[in-house]
Amino acid sequence: MAILSIRDLSVSFGGLHALKDVSFDVSEGEIVGIIGPNGAGKTTLLNTICGLNRTSRGEISFGGTRITGRAPEQIVALGLGRTFQMSQLFPGMTVIENVMTGLHRRTHAGVFAAALRTRRMREEEEKAAEKAWQALCYVGMERFAHRPGTALSFGQQRVIEIARTLISDPKLVLLDEPAVGLSVNRVGELDRLLRRIRDERGVTLIMIEHAVRLVMGMCDRVIVLNFGTKIAEGAPDDVVSTPAVVEAYLGKEFDAKRLES
Amino acid sequence: MKPILGIRQFLALLFLVLAIVPFVANPYIIYVCNSILLYIILATGLNILVGYAGQFALANAAMFGIGAYGTALLQVRLGVPYFAAAPTGAVLAMLIGTLIALPALRLSGIYLALATLAFAMFSQWVLLHWNSVTYGGGGFPVPHLNLSPIPVGPDLGIYYLSWLVTIALVVVAWWISRSRIGRSFIAIRDSEVAAQCLGISLWRYKTLAFAISGFYAGVAGALYAPMLGYISPEGFDLIQMIIQKSMIVVGGMGSVVGSVIGATVMVVVLEGLRAFKATQEIVFGAILIVFVIFCPRGIATLLRRLPGWDEPVSSFDSARYRVEAPSPVAAAQPVREKP
Repeated sequence: MAILSIRDLSVSFGGLHALKDVSFDVSEGEIVGIIGPNGAGKTTLLNTICGLNRTSRGEISFGGTRITGRAPEQIVALGLGRTFQMSQLFPGMTVIENVMTGLHRRTHAGVFAAALRTRRMREEEEKAAEKAWQALCYVGMERFAHRPGTALSFGQQRVIEIARTLISDPKLVLLDEPAVGLSVNRVGELDRLLRRIRDERGVTLIMIEHAVRLVMGMCDRVIVLNFGTKIAEGAPDDVVSTPAVVEAYLGKEFDAKRLES
Repeated sequence: MKPILGIRQFLALLFLVLAIVPFVANPYIIYVCNSILLYIILATGLNILVGYAGQFALANAAMFGIGAYGTALLQVRLGVPYFAAAPTGAVLAMLIGTLIALPALRLSGIYLALATLAFAMFSQWVLLHWNSVTYGGGGFPVPHLNLSPIPVGPDLGIYYLSWLVTIALVVVAWWISRSRIGRSFIAIRDSEVAAQCLGISLWRYKTLAFAISGFYAGVAGALYAPMLGYISPEGFDLIQMIIQKSMIVVGGMGSVVGSVIGATVMVVVLEGLRAFKATQEIVFGAILIVFVIFCPRGIATLLRRLPGWDEPVSSFDSARYRVEAPSPVAAAQPVREKP
């Protein structure tokens, strides 16, 4: 069953068509890679799915619910998670507090409960901390729990962002270049972590990625964007040899065979 | 190890000293300490909006004025007793503060500052020129606080009322900051996009921050009118706004204890220099410049390195969630402590 279904999606900023008539489906439990040259509209696509951009045309439905035009917080409430290319950990919080913030939708204490420090609010806070700790253990970052998030390397920050997203038990997580700036060893660790998230938790993953090894090794399917349109879709090995993809990356009149030999 | 003088002990000591002051000091010192109390309320409320939620608004002095005028006019014009007029004035400031949040949902940074500044100017103009209601630029006398079965004079009455209310509001701010509400404010300040993607509603929490700071300013206004016994629009102008802002800059943005320290320090400095009128502004400006350049995050951030001075934005038993002391071996294979 398709957990995410995108139909004829177009997004434009002023006169610039960032996305044009993009359609695809993502099934539950899949790992889908989105690749394409710079400016192809990959991040715009993720932003539009989580409601940060207004759509000009087309429809997005998530888990059977039409989400086009909804506010991000409503879409997130349906079980969507998102991480960012540039780490977006909150510098004003420790790592564990960052992860606790991921539980926002799952906790309920209002301003009066907080102002009066009711017993229920304190219990909820303890539970949130415990869940955050477990999430940090799950991604292997618990030793940094009480450090400020910005004291860590970018790769570590991105893993903590994944924990912050996972804590609310999302059904689908959108990852924007999770491997950028990581060493080869770290990419391997990330690969294992993402597979574990899919296999153990049944989370569907969509990721933008330039690390070819990660995409080729992990993704069930790859979607290629260029100038806002989808130019190819399919199994990673098939897609990279498609002439349109080679052309998008390397330009015309280039013999792909010569590159391989 | 328990800190000897952590934030809690410091605040307890400060408020204890403030409780003793009226027994040992002259009326002028009592007045200064009463001002400290009111500015603690103002700075704490402003810090929630500016320091925690990151909304650079300039309407706090106007909210302060609305609280003061609301309370005083209800008493003078309609004969409403103080203990009904004061909460009404505070709630009025809160409601108007919430309305100012509406442009804040679309504006940020300098644009928000300008929009809220325009509102502050507008409310100043109303206080000055709507003579038939506000008595205009000359101001008007406000009845002193009458606690009559309780045998305390009006000055001591308003002093201890301020003392109680200030403690309550500082504690409430401290608790709010250490909850999911405080975390939502910081999340919005640090990254609106990430906050949204975690399900935090921008409009809801921005509005809430404006409402809280409006309420705090309104309460301070409701205490200010009977303390002075006289109010005029001058007390709520741009200078007032700058003084409040300087308190949270000096004390520390995004810090409750910083608001308390900043308010105390700045009132003491301003009052201490009152005798040398010309130096007041020079020293005031110099302090601001020094802090902005050398210590832009304020005194509280310097103190954060001391034990017991960190201000978490959560409240859980952090001792339960620690990895055992890292040894070279343990670092390779971290030992998990059972929560």
